[in-house]
Amino acid sequence: MAYLMTHSLLSSWLYSMKENPFADATTEDTSKEDFLRVLRREPTPTTEAMQNGIDFENLVTEICGCVPHEQTTLIGKAPRPEELIPEKIRNNPWFDAAFKVAKIVQGGQFQHVATMRATVDNVELLLYGRLDVLHAGNIFDIKFSKSYDRGKYIDSTQHPMYLELVPAADSFTYLVSNGTDVWTEKYRRDETHSVFPVINDFLRWLRNTGLMGLYQEKWGAK
Amino acid sequence: MIRKPEEIQPTEKKIRMLIAGYPGIGKSTLALSAPRPLHIDCDFGVDRVEPQYRKPFIQPGSYAEILNDLQPGNLTDFDTLVFDTGGKLITLMSQWAILQDAKYGQRDGSLSLKGYGYVGREFVRLMDYCFYTLKKHIVIIFHATEEKDGDNTRLRIKVEGQTKNNVWEPMDLGGFVEMIGNDRTIGFSNCERYFAKGTRGIHGIYKIPDLKENPNNFLTWLFGQYNQKSEAEIAAAEEQKAKYEKAMEAGRAIIAKVTDVDSANQQAGEMAKLDHALTSEAEIKTEWVQKTKALGLAYDKTSGQYVKGVVA
Repeated sequence: MAYLMTHSLLSSWLYSMKENPFADATTEDTSKEDFLRVLRREPTPTTEAMQNGIDFENLVTEICGCVPHEQTTLIGKAPRPEELIPEKIRNNPWFDAAFKVAKIVQGGQFQHVATMRATVDNVELLLYGRLDVLHAGNIFDIKFSKSYDRGKYIDSTQHPMYLELVPAADSFTYLVSNGTDVWTEKYRRDETHSVFPVINDFLRWLRNTGLMGLYQEKWGAK
Repeated sequence: MIRKPEEIQPTEKKIRMLIAGYPGIGKSTLALSAPRPLHIDCDFGVDRVEPQYRKPFIQPGSYAEILNDLQPGNLTDFDTLVFDTGGKLITLMSQWAILQDAKYGQRDGSLSLKGYGYVGREFVRLMDYCFYTLKKHIVIIFHATEEKDGDNTRLRIKVEGQTKNNVWEPMDLGGFVEMIGNDRTIGFSNCERYFAKGTRGIHGIYKIPDLKENPNNFLTWLFGQYNQKSEAEIAAAEEQKAKYEKAMEAGRAIIAKVTDVDSANQQAGEMAKLDHALTSEAEIKTEWVQKTKALGLAYDKTSGQYVKGVVA
């Protein structure tokens, strides 16, 4: 039997492992609780930040759906790409930023599902990822973030995991927006660490903490 | 005028580069190794550069003075504009922004939120003007600062507010200068220490030649490398992209012929013959699966054939 392994699960675990320098004996360890909820596959309520991310990505998808690919790449042909987009979408306060992102990902395959089987530390795994966009050798992930610092995703397990899942992809680019600006954070394959040592550490940690049974119960793959 | 990709003449390309590092590590001297530089010494630190490496310079007291000096007629003897430092340039820009409109400032003289946005946009506009209108290489120097991130200590450029993200966007290259052993180095690849920017074949860590034995021309050499590699990389990328487009087009034509079980089984063989490039195989396979699912077809592993309905 194989078990599902996702970037979100690893990310939640890594976050719970981060030391809180302000913690004392009375500090409630919410990140550990959050991780256990993810491990138990309990539904989590959608926060405002999560909803913003969903709404922004939907806006990008809607714009891409309105404009044929060739309209974004040719200049001087009428009508202009913006004119093909309904006014309701153009009036969205995030439109300009979403349009910048749409121009980058236009023509790509949205919500591409990629899987891969691997055995790590004697555990058979099914690595799973749902890519925001896959296009011509590039993986794109659309993020909405009110606070962004360049290099924010350097430690993320998302680009190592997804580059593993799509061996033909050369690069992974985070397209980050706060609704006004758009920043790109690109990681090439040759500067990206393998995700397998992290998975290995995670599986060992599960064994050492007695949580392997819970993982195997909740994360079984068909 | 619409131009075709093959008309790109990469050897003409000017380069926009960001250099970051600790104070005193030799960033200014390195920046002045670019082709025919004008040193825009916002920091008033030209005296810290050894005399033999100094180049023509201006020491602007205000951002308006920089705009006034950066006129095409003044710059015919220069190929590169070196802004030293970017942090001080942004300070001058901030003072200028507040003079343009009081809403960009706060009572204590610092920038308002709107002011940060305005300065960020002005920075990008200045870089675009130097690059596209003046057609110069740009080298912009930033001091680096350490930030603690969990167990790691990371280097970041020292700039206030959101501007630190905007300054990276127009750059072709961004490198951190560090000492590794006795060698001065500049790194263009992302690593645990910093998030840098390498493009067009300029990646990894480069050793900066020792100036006791070599002339100060490292960036002139690097820009030459960039353009040489750029030419080869663009050609290779165009070839791959053309192959990818061809595979996608052929794949979609095959998928369009699938209308029922028989055509799915017939066309499956054609799909296997496609010559793929980049991620065309993964992308076209997904489109194939979507089409067969929409037609209510399933793949029977035992018979190796598509069948109508669900496979038991």
